[in-house]
Amino acid sequence: MIFLGIESSCDETSVAIISDNILLANLVASQQFHSNYGGVIPELSSRAHLQIISPLLKQALQEANISINQIDVISATAGPGLIGALLVGLSFAKGLSLSLNKPFIPVNHIEGHIFSGFLMDEKPIFPMLNLVVSGGHTLLLLVKSETEIYKLGTTIDDAAGEAFDKVGKMLNLEYPGGPKIQFLANSSSKTELTFPIAKTKNEFDFSFSGLKTSVLRHIQNNFPNQIPDDKKAEIAFAFQEAVTNALISKCEKAIKQFEINSISVVGGVAANQRIKESFIKLGKKYDKKVVIPSPEFCGDNAAMITLRGKQLFEKGFRFSLSENAFPSIHSNHFLRINYEK
Amino acid sequence: MDEFIFEISSEDDTCKAAQFLAKNLKPGDIVLLNGNLGSGKTFFVKEVLKYLNYNDVTSPTFSIVNEYDADIKCYHFDFYRIKNEMELHDIGISDYLADSEAISFIEWAEMFPSIVNNYNYLVQIQLNNEQRMIIIRKYK
Repeated sequence: MIFLGIESSCDETSVAIISDNILLANLVASQQFHSNYGGVIPELSSRAHLQIISPLLKQALQEANISINQIDVISATAGPGLIGALLVGLSFAKGLSLSLNKPFIPVNHIEGHIFSGFLMDEKPIFPMLNLVVSGGHTLLLLVKSETEIYKLGTTIDDAAGEAFDKVGKMLNLEYPGGPKIQFLANSSSKTELTFPIAKTKNEFDFSFSGLKTSVLRHIQNNFPNQIPDDKKAEIAFAFQEAVTNALISKCEKAIKQFEINSISVVGGVAANQRIKESFIKLGKKYDKKVVIPSPEFCGDNAAMITLRGKQLFEKGFRFSLSENAFPSIHSNHFLRINYEK
Repeated sequence: MDEFIFEISSEDDTCKAAQFLAKNLKPGDIVLLNGNLGSGKTFFVKEVLKYLNYNDVTSPTFSIVNEYDADIKCYHFDFYRIKNEMELHDIGISDYLADSEAISFIEWAEMFPSIVNNYNYLVQIQLNNEQRMIIIRKYK
């Protein structure tokens, strides 16, 4: 069977095709792609999704070397995300479903991330401890099967990726600052400088707003005018350590408390080398398999949406075309995440 | 214009200022929040929403807008990573702000002053020499 998936929840437009267990195409529209089809378009734009989605599908079909009539199931991200952006991909998928007379599966973007480790050759084993870390989300989950997801904790303020971007801004790095912080941190060796890790009421929750503020105070108090490059690197290093320690310590607590067989860290921040290495070490310590998707599956992509659509389809879930887009993580109905612990 | 000034020396004081605003808010209101990075804009909105019986406020920086099913529906915007005004038009900003059944909170609205002409409240969070002050201005 051939599965098509579409992602358009935020900045990225993406189309993927999976045949049985083989990923035939996973295209994420780049700025270059945008300029090929109608000039420079703002990154964040429903119109950009609209202009790009049809040529992107054509290119994906070409890469997969199939015709549109061979597609058996069509999935698209239904939420959470920007409503205008979501509606482009979702409506496009519904239109295809109607015209091809093939089932349509609305997919939760977060669920896409959660199971993105299954896109790798070495797959997670249930029950898995799952950490979703991206620009918009920080969630710690216990995943017992494809349909049993329990939330252990979440951020009570900023997402981990957002903290990276905002500290990047404080260090005068261009948005998004995340990858550049990692680069800077690499040029610093050991440092005395440390930033505090916030305590939270729920032991599995995260908080990064205080860390962000303490980096800001450190900069204001010590470098009111300009930060020397070596100090920038030192701050980046200490900040990255603080985020890594926060993520690791919550996960370690969860490993001790719950029966799990594997750990999977997913989302854009999972591409951070330091975080990756720390989790591999953590896995070794507790003898748990660690699966971190390769970078192309960490950022927003349609491959994970297609895979999740495939899982739901194979589990027998069917949806009507009246399923709507939902902007917020809490306001959806078909999501199998049990948001209570 | 009415002005209300709250001197803040603890989290409790912030809660009081937030409670004051929450009691006055009605559907259709637009609230702008000004203050530097890390001044506590998102925290303030979180506290306001608590009084509207909603406890899951998080930062909208990445998502641009969060929607909350509180006692009154709320939109929580952050213009921080918006690069130009067209992006805001593209996400349908005018439709959100024209929703007479919802309250809109906007962080970093000052980046695009022409987008929000009419607003009901301006919340200014100031931090001078470790002294925090929240100024709430109510417009007629």
